[in-house]
Formats: sequence, structure tokens, C-alpha cells
Amino acid sequence: MTETVLEVRNLKVAFPCAGGVIRAVEGIDLVTKKGECVALVGESGCGKSVTALSIMKLLRTPPSVSRIDKLELDGRDLTHLTDRDMERVRGKDMAIIFQDAMTALNPVMTVGKQIDEVYRRHTKLGKKEAREQTIRALELVGVPEPRSRAKAFPHELSGGMRQRVLIALAFACMPKLIIADEPTTSLDVTIQAQVLDVLKSMQRNHDVSALLITHDLSVVANMADAVYVMYSGKIVGRAPKQQLFMDPLHPYTQGLLASVPRISDGKQAFVQIPDTVPHPMRKPSGCYFHPRCFRASDRCREHMPRLENLENGRQIRCWHPLHQERGA
Amino acid sequence: MSRRNVLLQVARRGGSFMSLLKKLWQHPKGRVGLVLVGCLVLVAVLAPVLAPYDPYDVTQRVEKGLHPSLAHPLGTTITTGQDILSMLIYGSRVSLMIGISTGVAIAFLGALMGVMAGYIGGFVDNLIMRTVDILLVIPTLPLIIVLTNLLGRSYFVIVMVFVVFGWTGLARVIRSLVLVLKNSNYVKAAELAGASRWYIMTKHILPGTSHLIIMNTTLTCAGIMVAEAGLSFLGLGDPTAISWGKMLAEAQGGGALLFGAWWWILAPGVGIFLAVFSFMRIGIVMEEVFNPRMKASSSIYKLFKHMNNTYLDEVFRSMDNEESDESAERPNPSDAPLPEGSHD
Amino acid sequence: MSANGKRWSSNPLLEMEGVSVDFPVKRAYPFSKKRWIQAVTDVSLQISEGETFGIVGESGCGKSTLANAMIGMVPPTAGTVRFQGDDLYSLKPKAFRAARRNMQMIFQDPFSSLNPRFTVYDIIKEPMYIRGGASEAVMKDKVLELLQLVGLDEEDLYRYPSDFSGGQRQRIGIARAIILNPKFLVCDEPVSGLDVSVHAQILNLLTEIQKSRNLTYVFISHNLAVVKNICQDMLVMYLGKAMEAGESTAVFANPLHPYTKALLSAILDIDMHRARERILLEGDIPSPIDPPKGCRFWQRCPFAMVGCETIPAELVEVEPGHQVACHLVSGFSEKQKAVGYDRPVSPQPAPEKASAAE
Repeated sequence: MTETVLEVRNLKVAFPCAGGVIRAVEGIDLVTKKGECVALVGESGCGKSVTALSIMKLLRTPPSVSRIDKLELDGRDLTHLTDRDMERVRGKDMAIIFQDAMTALNPVMTVGKQIDEVYRRHTKLGKKEAREQTIRALELVGVPEPRSRAKAFPHELSGGMRQRVLIALAFACMPKLIIADEPTTSLDVTIQAQVLDVLKSMQRNHDVSALLITHDLSVVANMADAVYVMYSGKIVGRAPKQQLFMDPLHPYTQGLLASVPRISDGKQAFVQIPDTVPHPMRKPSGCYFHPRCFRASDRCREHMPRLENLENGRQIRCWHPLHQERGA
Repeated sequence: MSRRNVLLQVARRGGSFMSLLKKLWQHPKGRVGLVLVGCLVLVAVLAPVLAPYDPYDVTQRVEKGLHPSLAHPLGTTITTGQDILSMLIYGSRVSLMIGISTGVAIAFLGALMGVMAGYIGGFVDNLIMRTVDILLVIPTLPLIIVLTNLLGRSYFVIVMVFVVFGWTGLARVIRSLVLVLKNSNYVKAAELAGASRWYIMTKHILPGTSHLIIMNTTLTCAGIMVAEAGLSFLGLGDPTAISWGKMLAEAQGGGALLFGAWWWILAPGVGIFLAVFSFMRIGIVMEEVFNPRMKASSSIYKLFKHMNNTYLDEVFRSMDNEESDESAERPNPSDAPLPEGSHD
Repeated sequence: MSANGKRWSSNPLLEMEGVSVDFPVKRAYPFSKKRWIQAVTDVSLQISEGETFGIVGESGCGKSTLANAMIGMVPPTAGTVRFQGDDLYSLKPKAFRAARRNMQMIFQDPFSSLNPRFTVYDIIKEPMYIRGGASEAVMKDKVLELLQLVGLDEEDLYRYPSDFSGGQRQRIGIARAIILNPKFLVCDEPVSGLDVSVHAQILNLLTEIQKSRNLTYVFISHNLAVVKNICQDMLVMYLGKAMEAGESTAVFANPLHPYTKALLSAILDIDMHRARERILLEGDIPSPIDPPKGCRFWQRCPFAMVGCETIPAELVEVEPGHQVACHLVSGFSEKQKAVGYDRPVSPQPAPEKASAAE
């Protein structure tokens, strides 16, 4: 039985503010196995980025407050680790790839120096050896002429190159877990394909576990092994990838799948999920999805369903999942 | 613009001004600044009422060099026997008047020049920016000395020089912001609809810079007040007016240090300090207000202090809103069977 | 011969002939060689009334500049832009403004396309307010009507953009764009900045509005799946030049240009049953400053031949309603073949420096 690399148990994050409380993440559990790529899918505002930051313990206590029952990385309990100890974990055992490479990289340092920093911080390498490692890392992610590119500043590189630098930064110390927060959303189509390819091969070849956060199901289809679907702070479903795409159980998942425009379709109207995501301060009663759900019943309007474990590792939070007759 | 529109604009601007004041009031440091500025303005306006004596009135001179007492809480000057407290109160008028009027004039001129340079660009931009460059090169202090010699010592000269040379900083800053705003999509949309340049400058660009102007103006006022004090100290201001800088000069010249009349030096010094401090405080707080990301953690801690653990517990407990069951145990996620062989 | 392969229609709504737009690059120092960004080079097209015309390409291909040239924001360095028969850039100022009022634009970034200090009411009524001649009551009615049309409520009237999500802001932008009943709407990547699940809402709204008001759209996107679904004619651009053009059914049924094929294969399919051939392009999108002399795509083209480097490719009709600019398709002349221009070039070296500072 392959071991668990990441276990998150009952993560809750809230942002108190002047008008009330923003309930960003409401008690979610995540599990990632070794070498597996798990995707966390949801629309903007569902709390997935906040989840990523909480796992890395990058959320500051004002303005957020968070509670977590258990945070375990490769057997090591991180739940009560201080910030200082977390600094040693971040970058070495856990790394994150942000969406916007331009703001994730320091504009006044060369990219080579930024990658060197990671090596020098977490390993005992000297300046020269660190630079050798950096060049090797850049080569691995497919940056041409890495020796001269390492001396470039972020603004001198194109979007795709910058993203590759971020990937190199994340994989530098071969961490146990990589969190990728919308890694390709801001890129052009052909560059997106390239970067995803790099990310996928790095992850597979080095047997690194990944938590992929995105709103784009096509990225999930190409990279993930298992998928968690998140809606308004709660996990509403989990399934292995094939099953999620071929046999979705939650109406929201079905809606998400249907709204992706396909190249293979003929001309037809786009399928849309009505209305919008609920405001994180004013969530509906009962199941959060009921105002937009075509299967909503009275029970849905009053009671929030529990997350049920099904066979084959699936989880579903719904009173009337697809494939079930609509009962009372 | 029609008159009604102008009134609407002012009303809306006034409305946003009120909300700005409210935000400043809520911020603890901002409150301090507002209170101080308010007191200062009150003192200046009500000077004749508040001051026990009229320092301009020669007949009210009393014994020279008195120590602080009940009748004269800050004593009297050694040289002329004026009541120092009254001088302090009347002196605020000069500082405030010069500070605020110069600041406002600079705001107008700087904003206008900045917006025109940034939005119209081309020749106008070049003209204005080269003017700025020239003005920045000319040293102001020698110029003031020369001019006061030529035109006589008066605050008018000083204000004129400050205004003529002071708008440059603001213009530059506003211009850079305007260059950014100019490319905004909403400006483009307005241009597509046929908006004139004037419309875009007044309705889109200028309001977009308002926060910068206000912030800059408060800090400018503070700076001008210090500068004015310095110039009065040097004797370049109006010799007949009472200003804090002049009080300091008189104190030094009149031997306050020699005779140990520390209150004579302290009074105007504290006055200048408080005036400048309050304006700067407002300016800094305004920066935080306009740019919420710069909030110092202290202000958020205030918010958090109100929340004790029970409130937070309540919040977190409310997240467990699933329909409760007999088996209220939270299912252990590691117990859930994991998918087998999920690699592609 | 019109670029999108259609027979000459007698009065297209918008026509562009041989349009080129060049921008000068600021000189590093005086007297250095003057360099130009050739944003758009020699593009011709025709757009008929009521249709949706798609322009496809990635960053640096010139599609935004082309769109700006269409609506009168950027005068072309060469060529003409004709709107309803009139040469747009030769019109007198009054006529120019009147023509421009018939065109509007929807922008890519919903967060910067609305003035954050304006209420929703101000934003939507603005074009009408600028044009003048309508009372406050009339404007308010019109705004309310449009708010309902785009799916927002009356109570949103006095809210500020910061209260809304990206999709909602885009809808406000759409309402603003149609308040003056324009004939011509340029949608510059209207859904690229939004979540995939919101795309459908916005696109459905746009098609609905088009049908009910007989609008003409120019739809700029780099997502071919969307373009296939809603555009009748299309143009694929790369680095300022047209690579492939024609009726979208023809182009999608039979994509010929290597760049088009690469774009299609780059779309990640979520169809679990199909495994498509993936063409991964090497290298980055080069800078539009001083582009290559020949085919502008040759450096990244997996099928490049020796001649592609120096001989520019022109749009050639390969079937009715379908044109391609590619030497692979149109072939070289006998004389050129004799010199060896048709030999394939071995694996491309990646281009030296990707986008230099512009």
C-alpha cells in the first residue's frame, strides 16, 4: 500500500472583517499518496488558494484565523510547528508554484541567484556548487542555454520561461510535495501546453507528489490522478480522474464538465451553471449549491449533506447524487 | 458642465470627503491627528477669544522677563514684555494660514500640470516637464533672500516662491499616475463613445488621482510649516507679524538661553512640532486608508482584540453545519479506501 | 480577392485592405538605427453585417492592434479601413465621432475595464451621457432595461465594481457597450480572464444579444474551441501576419497551416476516449521587433524548409472559403526547388532571446 505523503484533517480558515466573517474554508480533509497528483478543482472564490496557503502555513494570523486538526507531511506532524521550524520545511520538503510568475519572482535579482538561494538555504552547498545545481535544474525544466539564462532578470524572460523558472525553484530540493496554484492560467495556449508537459514529466520522473489547484478541468484531465471538487469552502466530491470525468456524481461537477467548450462539438449553445458562486459572507442555508442545482429539494434547502465515503475512494456530499433516484 | 452637474459633483466629492474623515476617525492614529489638527484650527480661528492678551497691542505690554505664573502661564518675553501664551496662540494663525494656503495652491497647480502633462502628452508634456526640471535646479533659499531684499520682507513673497517652486514634486508624481490611468480600458471605452479630452481628464483621470493629491497636500502643508518657521527664524518673514519661527529667533536673540527662560523656547518649538506632527500623522494614516494592503498590523489587532476565543470558537463550530447523526464521529479520512493504481 | 475567402460581397460592414501597423521603438540613443515593431503586416479582411468574425492568435500576434485599428484607435501605417463604405481615417472629426459611436469594445480584463470610483449606473450610462441629448429619466430607464438583459438586479444600480465578481463585471461591461445600440462590437478576449465555468454564461449572453439586435462581432481569442462554436469566419494570426483564413467550418474541418494545427493540438481535451496527436512547439513566441523576412513562423515550425526563412508566404486559396499562407501547402516554384529551398530544416534551434524589451 503506497504511503500517504500529505494528510490534512479538518482545515478551517476564516477572515473576520468589518462586515462579518468570511468563511473561506470550512473543514476539509485532503490526502495525497506518494507520487500521486491530486487536483483541487473549484471556481474562483471557493477557497482553494487559501487551502494551498494554509497547507504551507503562509497565512498570517491577522487577517486570517485558522484551525487544523492534523497536518502531516510524509509522516512528520506539522500541525503545531512554529514559523521558524516551518521555514526549514518550506522549500525543502514542500514547495509551491504560484500563478503569476512576474510577482512570484524578485524583480531585482537574477533568476539564477533566486534558485541558488534555495540550495544555499536548505543544503550545505557553497556558491559555486549551488550555481551548478541551478544550471542543472534549469536544464531539467527545458530552459535553453541555462548558463546564460541564469544571469537574466525575470522581466527579460518570456512568460513561459518564467513559469519554468518557478517550476525549477519548486523542484530544486526535490520536495516531497509540490503545490501548484493555477500554474498555467495566465499563459498562452501553446506555452501552456509546453509548461504543463514539463510539470507533468518532472512530477512523474521524480516521483514527487503534487497538489494541483485549478479551475480548468482540461488541465486536470491531463495531469491529475485523483480529483477533489470544492465548492464554497467545502469539499463536495472526490474521485479518481477517469471516474470523475466519465461518471460524475455531484450535480456541480456535472455542470463544470458540461461548461467546458469542446473542440469536438458542433455548433451549439454553451451549457452554463445558472447564477454565481455564493458570497463567502452570505452563504445559503442547507447545501451551499442548492440555489443553482437542478436537483434541489426541500431537504437540500434546509440541511447540509455530510461527506460520504463510497467505494473505490470516492467521496460525495450530496443528498441526491446523480445515479440515484430523487427520493424525498 | 451644467451647474447642476457641478453641484452634484461637489456633493459627491463632499460625500466621499465625509467618508474619508470617518475612516480617519476610526483609525486610532488618525484620530489623534484629526483631533490635533482640529484643535489647531480652532485655536487659530478663535485666537482673539482664547488669548488672554493681545500681543499686537503695545499698550498691553507688561513687565519683561516674567516667569510662568497664573497671570502669565508661559511668562513674558525678555525683550518686549509680551505674554508668550498669547503670542503662541496668535502665532498659530500665521503657520496654519501659510501652510494650508500654500498647500492648497500647490495642489491645484501641481495636479493641473500633472494631469495635462500626462494625458495630453507630446509637446505639452515636454514643455511642462522641462519647466519642472528648470525650477528644480533653482535654489529657493537664496532666491527668497534676494526677493525679500527687493520687494520687502513679507509672507506674500515667501508663499509665492513656495508655490511657484513647490508644485513640481506633485506634478511629477501625478503625471506618472496619469500615464498609467490613461491606458485604462474604461478610458478607452469613454473615448470610443466620443468623449472629449476635457471630459476624460475631469471625470476619469482627475478623480483617479485624488487620493494622491490629498495625501501629498497634507504632507506638503507639514513641510511648508517647517520651512516657514525656518525662514521666519532667519528673519525673512514679515517683521510685524507674530510667528513661531520669529519667536524662536527673538528668544535666541533676546538671551533666553542665557537667562534660563526655557519656556520661551519651548513654547514655539512645541507649537511647530505639534502642527507638523498632526498633519504628517494624517498624511500617513491616509496612505494606509487608501492602500489597505499597507495596514499596519496594529490596527487589525484592534479588530482582533474584540474577538475573543469564544467568538472564534463559535465561528469554527458553525462550519460543522452538516446534518448531525447518531454517529457524530467525524469520519477519519485515512480510513477511506484510497483509489488503486490511479496513474495513467 | 478577399482574405476570408468569400466572394466579394457588395457592402461588407467593415473592410480592411492591406493594413499594416508599425510602432517605432524608442531609440536606445540618438542616431542609432530606427527599429520598428511590426505589429500588423498586410492584413486584409471583410466582415459582413450580422456575422461573428474570429481572430485567433497568441500574445504578440497583433490581434489587439488589429482590433484597435478597426475601431479607429490606431491609424494604420499602410492600407485602408473602411466602415460602411467610408474610409474611417479620412473622415472629418464629426463624422469620425459619429462612425465610432457605432462601434464599441468589450475588454479582456474585467477588473480594469470599469472605473472603480463609478457606480454601476454611471458606468453603463456613460456612453449615452457623453453623447448627450437624453434626460436623466430616459437614461435611467435604458440602464435598468440593460441591467435586466445582462442578468443583474435593480439594486446593483448604485453599487461599485468592487462588489462584483469577474463574470458580473464583464456583464456590466457588455451593458455599457450596447447602450448606444452600436452595429459593431469588438470582443477582445472577453472570457480569458474568467473561470472556465463562467465562460459559458458570458458567451451565451453575447450570442443572445447578437441575435436580438443583429450585431456584428469581432471575436478575438486564443481559445479555438470557443471560436469554432460561434464564429462564421476566422483569421489565424502569428506575429502580425495572417497564417490561415476562411470560413470556420472549412478551417476546422481541414486545418492546413502548421501553426493552426499546433494551436488545435494544444487545446487540452477532456474527452477521455480520444487521444489526439500532440504537436508541441519548441521555443517561445519571438518578439515583433524586426521580425524574420520570410515566413514569420519558420523558427518554430516543425515542418520548416530552407526557403521558409527568406521567402515570405502569401495567402493562397486552397479551397473555396479557405486560404493558407504556407510554403508547405502552396509549394515552391521549380526554380526555387532547384536551389534546394524545399529541403526540410533539421531540428530547429530555439530562438535566441525571447521577447526583448519593447
